Amino acid sequence: MRIFFATDIHGSEVCWRKFLNAGKFHKADVLIMGGDMTGKAMVPIVQSNGGWEVTLQEQRHELHREDELVAMEKRIRDRGYYPIRLTRDELQAWSADKALVDARFKDEMLRSVEAWMALADERLGGTGIRCVVSPANDDMFEIDPIIDRAEHVQLGEANTIQLDGFTLVSTGWANPTPWNTFRELPEDELRTRIDGLVATVPDRQRAIFNFHAPPYASNLDAAPQLDADMKYVAGGQALVPVGSKAVRESILDYGPALSLHGHIHEGKGAVKLGRTLAVNPGSSYEDGVLQAAIVDLDAKKGEVKRYLLING
Amino acid sequence: METTSSEGQVAAPAAASPTLFLRNATGLVKGWSGFDAFVYSFMSVNLVTLGMYYSFTVFGWVQDGSPIAAILVTAVAMTFLAITYAGLVAVMPRAGGDYVWQSRILDGPPGAVAGAVTIGIGAGLVAGALGLAGVAQLAVGIVGAIAGAALGMWRGGIGFILAATGWWLILALWAPIYGAILNLQFVQPVAALLGITDLGPLAGQSGVFIVSLIVIALVTGLVALGMAGYARIQRASLGIGLLVLVVVFALMAISSQANFQAAFDREAQALWGVSNAYQTTIDVETTFYGAEFPALDPLGFGPGTWLLIPLMLFWLLYPNWGATLYGEVRGAGDFRKVLIGMLGGIWVATFLAIVFVLLSAKTFGWDFFQATNVNYLDPVYAVEGAPDPVIPIWSYPMMLGAFLIDNRIIQIIIVVLAGAWFLGWAGTLFLSSTRMIFAAAFDRILPEQAARVSDRGVPWVALLLIMIPSVILSYFYAFNSDFVALTLDATLVIAVTFFGSAFAATILPWWKKDVYQNSPMARMHIFGLPLVSIAGAITTIFLGWVLYMWIVDPNGLYLIGVGNPNSIIFLGILYGVAALIYVVARLYRRSQGVDLDAIHAEIPAD
Repeated sequence: MRIFFATDIHGSEVCWRKFLNAGKFHKADVLIMGGDMTGKAMVPIVQSNGGWEVTLQEQRHELHREDELVAMEKRIRDRGYYPIRLTRDELQAWSADKALVDARFKDEMLRSVEAWMALADERLGGTGIRCVVSPANDDMFEIDPIIDRAEHVQLGEANTIQLDGFTLVSTGWANPTPWNTFRELPEDELRTRIDGLVATVPDRQRAIFNFHAPPYASNLDAAPQLDADMKYVAGGQALVPVGSKAVRESILDYGPALSLHGHIHEGKGAVKLGRTLAVNPGSSYEDGVLQAAIVDLDAKKGEVKRYLLING
Repeated sequence: METTSSEGQVAAPAAASPTLFLRNATGLVKGWSGFDAFVYSFMSVNLVTLGMYYSFTVFGWVQDGSPIAAILVTAVAMTFLAITYAGLVAVMPRAGGDYVWQSRILDGPPGAVAGAVTIGIGAGLVAGALGLAGVAQLAVGIVGAIAGAALGMWRGGIGFILAATGWWLILALWAPIYGAILNLQFVQPVAALLGITDLGPLAGQSGVFIVSLIVIALVTGLVALGMAGYARIQRASLGIGLLVLVVVFALMAISSQANFQAAFDREAQALWGVSNAYQTTIDVETTFYGAEFPALDPLGFGPGTWLLIPLMLFWLLYPNWGATLYGEVRGAGDFRKVLIGMLGGIWVATFLAIVFVLLSAKTFGWDFFQATNVNYLDPVYAVEGAPDPVIPIWSYPMMLGAFLIDNRIIQIIIVVLAGAWFLGWAGTLFLSSTRMIFAAAFDRILPEQAARVSDRGVPWVALLLIMIPSVILSYFYAFNSDFVALTLDATLVIAVTFFGSAFAATILPWWKKDVYQNSPMARMHIFGLPLVSIAGAITTIFLGWVLYMWIVDPNGLYLIGVGNPNSIIFLGILYGVAALIYVVARLYRRSQGVDLDAIHAEIPAD
């Protein structure tokens, strides 16, 4: 069985499209999305003098034709941002009212996940390729039922999924971050949640963990240290472990064949923890590059046969 | 770009209309300090450790060259290198440096060209060093070019070879070089000032080896302990180092040449029992070189200036050494911040270097400065017939400046505190190597054990992979005089790596159009051409010329080119080892059913 695992695409439309095509391209049997699917930013495209103005990556663009506008919106979506058409009055209103921004953010996230699930159904239908999507700490809870409704996508969070002799258990909950995001738990509660999931697994050595938070001090969790002002220390050169101790201990205690992680975009890597291969493919979603792990599992032996981390 | 992490806040200057709305999400930070980029860059183009020893000691070798012009031209060239690297960082911020830039950009025909040129020329040179000539040498070169083209066609092949040599294998040679610098700039002058004439095992060749081992232990320990604490050490070192430099400059500025001559003679007599050392140094070297050393012409541009420029790179080549991690939701502002940090490093160091040269000419006397440096350096490089050194240790400029105060304790304090330039510079020696080894292990080129970390997160296998060759090369460096002549290979190999990245940057807008168009660099043009390509092309041409000068070495000046077969063979071994690792990895992984081409194969989106 070949698994294609990607994570943390944060709204990047092009990365999602690549993800859906990866099954055919890399001959994978199962696609697993490790969460943090929704975008972090909205880019206002402002109506102005019969045209539109937008600033992307500090570069101001003036758009005069609909095709230019559509191309810019695609470019923005491919970076993982949501393009928002606004009048100047609306922009001023948004600037003054955080609630308007929050409401639109929610609307955009839900709408994009709806569209992504529709695309998944369209592309995966009839292929025989299975797809599991598990939201993570940056994803609001309202997207879970949308994923659950998709015909050719299975919701990973808190579900036990059988995959050719292996059992996949998933959670997008993470240990606390400085950003206080949607799905965070103190380490002891995270461990309790994991233990509850693993209790449903018949053979723990044939388990596949799909836990968004990487194991602590595994090198899959090395992130640039931040100071009290949330700025990088030493230009980002000072890396510190920020992973979950609960995840690490559960891997060592249960010894699953494979453990899939994300969360720390800079933490690309693969390490052995006990008998378990733990991988974090990292993320370069803003570049439109889909970082992923391809893992071949030996159903007879119940272990990882080979793996590769890719930049697709 | 200054972003915020508060839900719904905007990421634009307060006075302007918002251009971006951010929600609360992991990883959104308030950017990073441009000062950090400056610190890394400035400490990497290290005026004291590298500049004073590797670049400013050789002015006496090129007497028709103009030092200030050479420094300025090199700084201008490095400005384009900085633009190139800032551009690459802006396009692929998490790429992790040269290895991934080259692996992702140099595939297919461009990779084949890069592979054919580097491996073909290298193979031909090695054949020549082994005694082959004419058709036989040409045939080896052609075989090398074909093999190099094949390696380059493989996705990631030439990227691995150029980056593994520049960021991993050659750093084993840097370890004894760091040791030699610590010996010259700290151990020997401090011991001399303390009146210790017998350094015991720290003297001579064994001293170089022992100090190299100390350096290896130090930098290994810093990586093992984590770099967060070292960042504070580096900042403190910058402050202390600059303070000491200003003090020495001030002493030089207020002292006359006669004051210095008297001071030098006094200290040479007191420390080493050498009388009339100042004039003796000038006399013996004037006799050896057959002419008086010329005076400094601050505004000159003598014909030898072009020969000096490649020598200045031994100091100024590294403004891009650090800072490759940048945040999400970035924009053109990050490019500017990275660039300003690097340019700050280059140009502040350049300014200080010019001040140093002018003050040296004024106070030390330019003829003495050149003479005392070649008086030490010529025997080190086994220059035939060179006179014995007048004083037994190198005339470390910080020590010479300290001599202007006739107080032993203050002299010792100055030289000890000047050690901050070393401390703030040496700590990152192995950091880049371990990251390069990780990246290669994650790409399945090295065994996965290479990326293994301890329970405390220490990358002990990667550290061993760099420590062991470092210890071996340190031994050879200390006890084999031929090996010292390979010193400047340490820079040549890194220049080849930068050459590869500059070429990659040049073709990036056309060869990896989507990635480029999706970056803040896409709108930065000059005369309608992409800025990153213009800077990359200029850097490629400049580094190509420098590499030609080093390798052809028409004046026998650089000692690492075709006139030194040992150097060519050493380089051949380095590149051969890297190529061998890659080929073996490909074949081994293929036998396991792992296709390394898949690593960089782009999945179609539609």
